[in-house]
Amino acid sequence: MRPTGIWFESYAAEARVLETLRARLWLLALLAALVLLPAVAGPWLLGEFTNLFITLVAVYGLYVTVGMAGQINIAQSAFVGVGAFTAAKLSGMGVPIWATIPAGALAAGCISIVFALPAWRVKGFYLALTTLAAQVMFPIVILALPMSWLGGLVGMPVMPPTLFGLNLGTPTGLYFLGLFVAALATWTAFNLPRSRIGRAFRAVHDNDSAASVMGIQVTRIKIEAFFAGALYAGVAGAVLAYFLQFVTVSSFTLFTSVWYLGMLIVGGLHSPVGPILGVVFVTLLQEGLHKFANAMLQADGGLGGGTVFALSSVVLALCILIALIFEPRGLAHLWHTGMKAFRLWPFPRN
Amino acid sequence: MIDLLQIVIEGSLVGLVYGLVAISFVVIYRAAKIINLAQGEVLVVGAFLLWTFTEGAAGLGWPLPIPVSLLLTAAGCMVFGAAVERSVFRPLIGQPAFTIFMAGVALLILLRGLVQLVWGAETRSIPVILPEGALQIGPFLVNTRLLIGAAFTLALTAALHLFFTRSRLGLRLAAVAEDHTTALSLGVSVRQAIATAWVLGTVVATAASVVLLSGSILSLEVAVIGFKALPVALLGGMESIRGAPLAGVIIGVLEALASAYLDPLTNGAASGLLPYVAMVAVLLIRPYGLFGWRRIERL
Repeated sequence: MRPTGIWFESYAAEARVLETLRARLWLLALLAALVLLPAVAGPWLLGEFTNLFITLVAVYGLYVTVGMAGQINIAQSAFVGVGAFTAAKLSGMGVPIWATIPAGALAAGCISIVFALPAWRVKGFYLALTTLAAQVMFPIVILALPMSWLGGLVGMPVMPPTLFGLNLGTPTGLYFLGLFVAALATWTAFNLPRSRIGRAFRAVHDNDSAASVMGIQVTRIKIEAFFAGALYAGVAGAVLAYFLQFVTVSSFTLFTSVWYLGMLIVGGLHSPVGPILGVVFVTLLQEGLHKFANAMLQADGGLGGGTVFALSSVVLALCILIALIFEPRGLAHLWHTGMKAFRLWPFPRN
Repeated sequence: MIDLLQIVIEGSLVGLVYGLVAISFVVIYRAAKIINLAQGEVLVVGAFLLWTFTEGAAGLGWPLPIPVSLLLTAAGCMVFGAAVERSVFRPLIGQPAFTIFMAGVALLILLRGLVQLVWGAETRSIPVILPEGALQIGPFLVNTRLLIGAAFTLALTAALHLFFTRSRLGLRLAAVAEDHTTALSLGVSVRQAIATAWVLGTVVATAASVVLLSGSILSLEVAVIGFKALPVALLGGMESIRGAPLAGVIIGVLEALASAYLDPLTNGAASGLLPYVAMVAVLLIRPYGLFGWRRIERL
């Protein structure tokens, strides 16, 4: 429900993502703050933000596959890995960055189609098991391929990216690269639900029998949902490769996939705001735990790096379980109700 | 020829251990309709309980006889299974399959983190519980630990099959597996069924950890067996107790053959990939497995 005084004079105005001038001004302010950030922030903070942007792109991929189309994907990290290894290999061959990122996205998308094919016979969590197979097979395949192809156990170095003679390998350059892909991912994810294919995803999510009665080719839409989600993962992987400067299989584990899923669930599956809230919340939580662990480490020295990892796994798992049991719509729902209360104040929300 | 038969024998014995883990998947699915991805971690928790009551207790100056520590382990993992059911899965009864599946995924990292926090990440040795050694049968050598494990798996399969098809409680569990709402309307307690399933599932997983780890090394990596047993459970059929050991033998023999004949050509990847390739193939060709319930719709 909108407050009194907001009305639309055309269909196009009502269909906008940002309905009011105020919302557009807020977005502009946010963008300006993010663009001006490198002027005041140090390299550590820029690195954190770059990492956050890359994670956001990967989680938006999950939002498309899991949130919109309702197909569980626990191999997002493997698809990110496919993008990263593709970009690393191509950058070693001297291919420029404007070609490696789309190539990484396409490679991840094509691999995802192979594992989405069982959608033809099964549905629900049986389909999730094929993505589990993809995640488990990914390191085995990379490690078994000859060292000269993808680096095997050691990994592969990545050439620093340049664009039109500009060196993007600096913290600031990588920050703007991350900001650009994150903005692109956000823009597409907000607009996808308004498109024909986005509505088809939603229909398959709600009830695939009903969707097929309405003339949607369910199997094809499911495969397209996996493909679209993996495209985001590939882009995230390619940028991650440039960010890490070195790719190894140990960066792309089942645990990372679960982390991505956890961020999506905590943030909220059914709203494009969810991934942003989830990624920011989980990143803040993780940084807080690191700070806490460092303080403990200085206090008595009894805490190792493994303990910090274990502690953050436990906290994230508890967050997912709490979200599933008590607030399945995630932080996005709290955000929407909070916004509504803010807009209607001082009148009650309902 | 003797080599080939030896590989087949070893493969089928290892496969029966996979079958044992697969039974723990099937027991939980059959009663609660939950594919619990965390089953490997449940097995690791059982193994750490076993370690606590054997080596851990001995380290504290309380050496226990093996049968007592096995009983204590069984009691401990029953309590653990009941606690998982009560705290995670009971509040989710009636939720969509997606939510329950994700709860299993969250449980996976929760248990992995908790084990690391409680027991630490270092590797530990489990004492010899089942006799080590090799039995000479004709020209073949058979590992006694795996042989006893195989006999145990087959006996357990027969017992669980009778339980699920003949006993009153077992039939109630089958009704819950068919449909929660229908079961409730017929007066079957879904809560009781799911609690029973979890206790049974953790006990079977812990039994598997005894067979698997007796006299060997326990680390967090042991949990991988859960992902290896998942294809076995799917091939046998998620509802079929008797399908699990048979599918275990099939996967175990294929894996042993692949590791003997294909691994030298593929840099060691063939045997690792085989269970998962088999899983994708099963889902494509026969999604309900060898002996699973054929459903028109699988939701």
